Amino acid sequence: MEYKIDAAGKDLRNLSSEIRKALQNGISKIIIENASQIHGIASGLKDGEIIINGDVGDYAATLNDGAFITINGSAGKYLADNMTKGLVIVNGDADYGCGVYCYGGEIVVKGNAGDFLGALNKGATIIVSGDVGDYVGIYMVGGEIIIIGSVGENIGDWFIRGTIFIGGEYESVGHNCKEVSIENEDIKKLRQYFNKFNINADPRRFRKLVPISARPFYGR
Amino acid sequence: MPITGAYCVTMDKERCISWKMPWKCSTCVEVCPNSVFSVDEVGRAYVSNDLACVGCRICIEYCPNNVIHIRSAEPERFTRGIWTFQTIDEIHYKAQTGKYILRGYGAMGPLPHFDDLIIVPAQLHPPSPRDKYREDCKIEVTIGEGKVEEPLKLKIPIIFAAMSYGAISREAKMALALAAAKLGTAVSTGEGGSFPEEFYVAHGFKDEENFRNSRKNYEPGGYLIVQWASGRWGVSLDYLLRSDAIEIKIGQGAKPGMGGHLLGEKVTEEIAKIRGIPIGTDCLSPATHYDILNVEEDLKKQIKILRDVTDYKKPIIVKLGPGRVYKDVKIAAEAGADAIAIDGSQGGTGTSPERAIQDAGIPTIGLIRPAVKALQDLKLREEVKLIIMGGIRNGADVVKALALGADCVAVGSAALIAMGCRVCTQCLRGKCPYGITAQDLELRKRLQPEKAAEKLVNFMKAIVDEVKMLTMLSGHDDIRQLSREDLRALNINTAAITGVKLIGY
Repeated sequence: MEYKIDAAGKDLRNLSSEIRKALQNGISKIIIENASQIHGIASGLKDGEIIINGDVGDYAATLNDGAFITINGSAGKYLADNMTKGLVIVNGDADYGCGVYCYGGEIVVKGNAGDFLGALNKGATIIVSGDVGDYVGIYMVGGEIIIIGSVGENIGDWFIRGTIFIGGEYESVGHNCKEVSIENEDIKKLRQYFNKFNINADPRRFRKLVPISARPFYGR
Repeated sequence: MPITGAYCVTMDKERCISWKMPWKCSTCVEVCPNSVFSVDEVGRAYVSNDLACVGCRICIEYCPNNVIHIRSAEPERFTRGIWTFQTIDEIHYKAQTGKYILRGYGAMGPLPHFDDLIIVPAQLHPPSPRDKYREDCKIEVTIGEGKVEEPLKLKIPIIFAAMSYGAISREAKMALALAAAKLGTAVSTGEGGSFPEEFYVAHGFKDEENFRNSRKNYEPGGYLIVQWASGRWGVSLDYLLRSDAIEIKIGQGAKPGMGGHLLGEKVTEEIAKIRGIPIGTDCLSPATHYDILNVEEDLKKQIKILRDVTDYKKPIIVKLGPGRVYKDVKIAAEAGADAIAIDGSQGGTGTSPERAIQDAGIPTIGLIRPAVKALQDLKLREEVKLIIMGGIRNGADVVKALALGADCVAVGSAALIAMGCRVCTQCLRGKCPYGITAQDLELRKRLQPEKAAEKLVNFMKAIVDEVKMLTMLSGHDDIRQLSREDLRALNINTAAITGVKLIGY
């Protein structure tokens, strides 16, 4: 069942209440229009499919715990903040802090993304079709970040676990980050993601970045 | 800072069991995690390496004949000026390793503290003293009243400060949760996430089954505050939904502006699993939240979103180790916090760089006046509660904090000491001989949660009794009646810092 919400003139509390009520009533697909002024839209959901037509504010899909959220527009700062499960697709750009603190789930940005992409990522897979700013994967402790385009400075600064794949160029690596050869297993995995999310890229040209040490701070 | 070689360890061999009856006792050898003692080839215990002693005194505690003595190697500041053994040792350590020193606990030494204030007793001038033995004194505090659907209704004006699972042991966490349930107060997860038993016990249930059947085992039951810190360890939607309040940790007194530290030595399999990090890695929370980068604007939005995902039921607390206190508190209050917790430099920690502990941050009594002024200027003094922490040790400290303007206080270090801690400050190593901050299974067994909780309850009841006594001798029957007029400063510095009149005036 589908349910449409016009978010114009609504605040976060009213909109969230309407979304939750619809999901509780067994609606599986919710389409939201005119939500660009709202921060934190579609946050804290455990299931359902949410389609948002147009741009969204900051903190969209925060603490997502299982919902499938599609944004047909661009997203503000901190998209899918602290997500644990689910899938978030942005058919546009994402501002800085996309995918910070995620424990799991998948984020796909079809445009470009800002700085601090996947900061402290702990287990999510974050894919960006375009270019990304600086400090990708800073303090990351798990998961994967895949960038089809180019990346700015200090990639993987102080990260201790996880992998960053880059299709284009990058300006510099951060502390505790090194480039290693991409392996057949990686290529196979990247190809699966690209097929799944309909991304046109050749996984064989990707570079792979991993941490140097699992204990870079106070290791003895 | 315990220093290698800073302690003289001696044994009274005349009275030592092993010297009378070889092989009959080696308790000191067994309890010391630092191998200070050994047994010789004929079965007699002796001090084999007193350089390794950290001054924890576990050997004294366990020695059946009380034959062990530990003393500081030399009186320090009196004889060596600024070049104390502590300073020399710190320099040697840096010279040898290229690293700075880390330790636990908060700022030590002669900093302004509550001892510099005295409570004014009522005599002839009204109000008259209240009779503690006949009359009652109101001490309950509510956080979030009128703002959220489920405010925290605390039976006492003291909560347990945030201490993470990792910084302290599972057993210590359980003891705090159990004590909170029995006292009707709140305990915090700290920044390391939580485990299910902590939730059940804090609410007064022995286990999940009793919780599901609403069969309360411990009355009146307490509250669990969950932390939303800059590392976001163990944080999920369910973690927030199970909580009674959310504390956004911006900073803490012992390492303001530095995030959090948990050294790899303490990252066990279970802690790694809860936090989502590799076993044995250092777990550092960054100095800033990577989703509050534009502070004033983002904090406001984040509070709104946390309220929304938890259905507007739970109070939101912002915790600060403030530096520019007035402005920091003002920003937190304007962002919409229901309570602001401010932690002074005497507040403890599991691990922090020595120089950050000693040389950065504001001593606790210096925080309260500007924090209160910020709330008054915003006309939010009644609406936003102020929680003070950082070196609170007894009922007098609590009353002084309340009189200066706090609504309630939090105790952390004193709670650990009540459980048995002797302040060796080596919490970071995971080898706490009392099992309080240990992550080693054998050492953890030394702390029994039920017994430790009993000590915590006794300690808290005693200081609550002191709070009532001191409030009533000041002529009040409600802690909310306490004011700066009920205090006097013992020296001019404290008067200037706190705005309290100097004695003699």
